[in-house]
Amino acid sequence: MPAEIPLNQDAFREAFREAFREAFRFLAAQAGLDTASPHLDELYPYVQGVLSGVRSLDEIDVDGVEPDLVFIPSPEAN
Amino acid sequence: MNALELCYLSAGELSRRIKKRDVSPVEIVDAHLARIGETDGTLNSFITLLPDQARAAARRAESEILAGRYRGPLHGIPVGLKDLFNTGGVRTTSGSRIFDTFAPQRDCTVAARFYQAGAILLGKLNLHPLAYGPTGENADYGHMHNPWNPELITGGSSGGSGSATAAGQCTITMGSDTGGSVRIPAALCGIVGLKPTYGRVSRYGLTPLSWTMDHPGPMVRTVEDAALTMNVIAGHDPNDAASARVAVPDYTSALSGDVRGLKIGIPREFFEAPLDPEVAAAVRQAIGQLGDLGAITTEVSLPMFQHSQVISGTILMAEAAACHRELLAREGDKLYPPVRLRLEAGLFITAVDYLKAQQARSVFNREARHLLQEVDLLVGPTEPVTAPPILAEKVQAGNQSISTTAALTQYTRPYNITAFPAITVPCGFSRAGLPIGLQLAGQPFDELTVLRAAHAYEQATSWHTRRPPI
Repeated sequence: MPAEIPLNQDAFREAFREAFREAFRFLAAQAGLDTASPHLDELYPYVQGVLSGVRSLDEIDVDGVEPDLVFIPSPEAN
Repeated sequence: MNALELCYLSAGELSRRIKKRDVSPVEIVDAHLARIGETDGTLNSFITLLPDQARAAARRAESEILAGRYRGPLHGIPVGLKDLFNTGGVRTTSGSRIFDTFAPQRDCTVAARFYQAGAILLGKLNLHPLAYGPTGENADYGHMHNPWNPELITGGSSGGSGSATAAGQCTITMGSDTGGSVRIPAALCGIVGLKPTYGRVSRYGLTPLSWTMDHPGPMVRTVEDAALTMNVIAGHDPNDAASARVAVPDYTSALSGDVRGLKIGIPREFFEAPLDPEVAAAVRQAIGQLGDLGAITTEVSLPMFQHSQVISGTILMAEAAACHRELLAREGDKLYPPVRLRLEAGLFITAVDYLKAQQARSVFNREARHLLQEVDLLVGPTEPVTAPPILAEKVQAGNQSISTTAALTQYTRPYNITAFPAITVPCGFSRAGLPIGLQLAGQPFDELTVLRAAHAYEQATSWHTRRPPI
């Protein structure tokens, strides 16, 4: 029934949002943050924005590339 | 010569006069302290001023020089340090009230080298809290104000260093640059700012923000002063694990004024990014002048430029969160709220994404190094806009409205990723009378070529001689 689809979608989205928020609370606790603080309500959307931005790393082809962990550039390489 | 003129002499010129005993360090320090007294109520450059210590050091310098014990070009020169450079016995706040009474026991290596050279510390300079922000906001010690228009930002994070040098409060200041924090305030305040190669200047005794991208660097009014400062602060330091064992040249040998035959690449992507047309025109004109001086300018391509924000942003957020994790857990609620949010968000970056950003950094470096096999330097704007109003969340860059943080770091972050030396020099003013910066970057440890081109441009123009109206 077409009329029921939006309801189901909304319910799914809400459940997904709640699951994501629960995961966020769990990770926040693991990171040592006070999960009872109202500050977490401000942090939550901020983190969502940051993690969404980080996903643009996936646009970079790093196949077969080792991470750059030798930070001092070598003058000999010039 | 009146006191204000003394405050605007370069370190090079002051040192020549000190050496000839035309002027004494005591006169110079008194003039600068008076200038700070007149202007710092407006600018808020300083967190801690050290008048008694500075006057005592000036008297010692004067005695030494009169006794024939001249130490070199920084002897008797007034300097200021961003307040995350540790100074033994002098409080070092890192721009946060959390550290309001913290006085380190030891000097950082940069401070120790300045003292050894006879430079005189006037005070500790304001900064974006923990150096984590490019605007120069600080709710704890007050926002920093641009000497060209105090309603506008200095840029950050080394905002107090930018305003102090531009307004003649100090002859030399030091900043630290993780995503542009030396070059951003230098460009917006109309001075010279040099981010040396990573590993060239010791980070020992500086509050860290990102272990792999923190670079201390000088903020001065002339390229010669950048060279003179580098002669004092550059070199290996066993106390810094990232300090490079690379021979240090005499940086003043770069000041030949000759750029004939130098190959300078202009990444076309720099001019496809959001960019104020006035800034673009000034930078294009400056590049043309470098060509007129004999440099060979050519358009090049740096496609990875489009990814520089996400690469450096991911690395910075993860490393900053790791650096300050204990502080967050202990006293996060006392931090400036935007800085607290940034730090906390970094706790959610996964190790996989951090390493992916470091992989992408490798790709970026490979591309940039390849470019520097074709050309000696890369050139472009330092900033896409002139200084925006304090606390503005967005800026207009050409026909695009973008976040202030993204705009201010757009052209500076690439060289924190690559570790290349990069300098900003004044290259014009907007119709509103605000400074515009030209950025030149070179090969790792080749600060000489960067300084050489910057100096030649500076000598052919007069932008660096303009003074803010304060």
